[in-house]
Amino acid sequence: MTQSELISGRAIQDGAPSSPLDRITERLIRHVASYSSRRSVLGRLGAWATFGALVPLLPVERASAATPPGTGKAAPAAQSHVKAPSPFAAKAQTTDPTACDYWRYCAIDGFLCASCGGGVHSCPPGTRPSPTSWIGTCFNPQDGQSYLVAYRDCCGQDACSQPPCLGTDGDQPSYRPQANNDIIWCFGTGALVYNCSTSVIVGNAS
Amino acid sequence: MRLTSRKLAGMTAFLLAGAALAPCGMALADEPVLQTEESDIIKLSPVTPHRILVQDPVGHHAKDGRVYVVDADQGKLLGMVQAAYNGNVVQDPKGRAFYVAETVWSRGNRGDRADLLATYDPQTLEITNDEVLPGRALVTPKKNDLTISSDGSRIYVYDMVPTNAVHVVDTTTHKVAMNVGLPGCALTYPWGKDGFTSICADGSLANVSIGAEKADITHTKPFFDPEKDAVFEHSPSRSADGKTWFISYSGLVYPATLSATTTIDKPWSIQEAAGMKAATNADSPFTVTWRPGGWQLAAMHHASGRLYVAMHQGTFWTHKVSGTEIWELDVAKHKLLRRIKLPRPSSMVGVTQDASPQLFTNDEAGDFFIWDLKTGKIAHTMKHLGDDLYFTTALGD
Repeated sequence: MTQSELISGRAIQDGAPSSPLDRITERLIRHVASYSSRRSVLGRLGAWATFGALVPLLPVERASAATPPGTGKAAPAAQSHVKAPSPFAAKAQTTDPTACDYWRYCAIDGFLCASCGGGVHSCPPGTRPSPTSWIGTCFNPQDGQSYLVAYRDCCGQDACSQPPCLGTDGDQPSYRPQANNDIIWCFGTGALVYNCSTSVIVGNAS
Repeated sequence: MRLTSRKLAGMTAFLLAGAALAPCGMALADEPVLQTEESDIIKLSPVTPHRILVQDPVGHHAKDGRVYVVDADQGKLLGMVQAAYNGNVVQDPKGRAFYVAETVWSRGNRGDRADLLATYDPQTLEITNDEVLPGRALVTPKKNDLTISSDGSRIYVYDMVPTNAVHVVDTTTHKVAMNVGLPGCALTYPWGKDGFTSICADGSLANVSIGAEKADITHTKPFFDPEKDAVFEHSPSRSADGKTWFISYSGLVYPATLSATTTIDKPWSIQEAAGMKAATNADSPFTVTWRPGGWQLAAMHHASGRLYVAMHQGTFWTHKVSGTEIWELDVAKHKLLRRIKLPRPSSMVGVTQDASPQLFTNDEAGDFFIWDLKTGKIAHTMKHLGDDLYFTTALGD
């Protein structure tokens, strides 16, 4: 007796009314039963059981978990599978680079180039990026990764003067210049006149 | 002629009005004619302990930085001088002059750069000397980027290019007497007439003794971990005896006596002095408690041994958040004496050094508050003294 005969016989015995879904399911299973042995079905089910379990671990799954459907806004990192390493990261968002709580601004100090005619990693026209910077480490709640961020100032015009932001994650005093956001990071740009700050990803820190 | 009652009433009113106006007319006639005037300039009295300088880098147009001269007894602005582009200011210990380090470019935002050290007469606010420096560090102003020896004979200018260094300026000759290379170290905390200490990146100190020909440098062992709990740059220090209180982000106070052989005592906790648990460092950043924070976040009244610290409630890494209270601590007994609640959060606390000390705080709008420390009450509020009030200097601080 084949598997299809068993199922078919039970359906007849129960005398249940046959819905369109039941009919499609029955046809599908009869088709599978006609062309496969019991062992191969068990093998495929086993494969799905094994590899299906891995699906939630893919980055795609984490991204969807971090973004509540319909909000269009990233959730706080607390909802991510990876614990945010700092108070700033726990409240950071990933969609608006003109707001101070944008995840890359965990240690920025000054005017956002994204609000001054530039972008997250772009200088406004009329200014130049400094080849020097200090480096911060910021956590991206979207993918649960930490990144090295170079805070490169754009220089050559006086302060852009849009509302300033001050992130202090990992900010250390100026005797640790590599981790200080008070220094005018305009070295190598001619006049060291500060306009605004960018935050450029330069590596993965996870 | 018959006078009607209406006409009579009108004449009476006219006469009464005339009588009332007559004294005014006579008074006007007696008033002397205003005399012609000459333009003149106010000259200030000599500096007192309550004549302070307030530094304002004007972050939104930083090329226009300035220093305000304030009479804290009256809550009155006496004048101001330019301090261009992250300028800095330091006062002669006896108030004979003050010095402004600033940076300009020949064509505004371009052209040749000039780093300058201007000497000001504190009574006329006229420049008495305008010296060109080899350079200076361009950084949001911190007091310890520009300091002066206890006798006022040397000024120490911190520089970063091409390497970390300190330019020693002789205030008599107005010349750079020496450049001291300090790779890996920064800022200056003067002690005595001929020495200063810098903080190094590994959490140690470099002690610089200035001789006739060269400087001798000694190093302490590291005493704090800069990655876990760095000490603030604006830790109070006194040049007369090198007494310094290094305050860490978490609120540990390291008492030190700076010299060629600097000694550092065991730290004590501000929170424990207030009967609380010591605050966490970067190892547990999420713990919310009272923490020190701001810019000029601490000041010392040296004669009484009282330390004033701007405190706020927050997690670790909130070391630049303005204080909602000023805590007054006895540094000998490690004890909290008073909590002064602020009307608005302040990034600074300053204090005068006399027997009737005043305390200074600010707010985000640039208002400047002058407190009488005896009563703990605000004596004067100067509305919008400036845009970004970063620090104060008073005689002997």
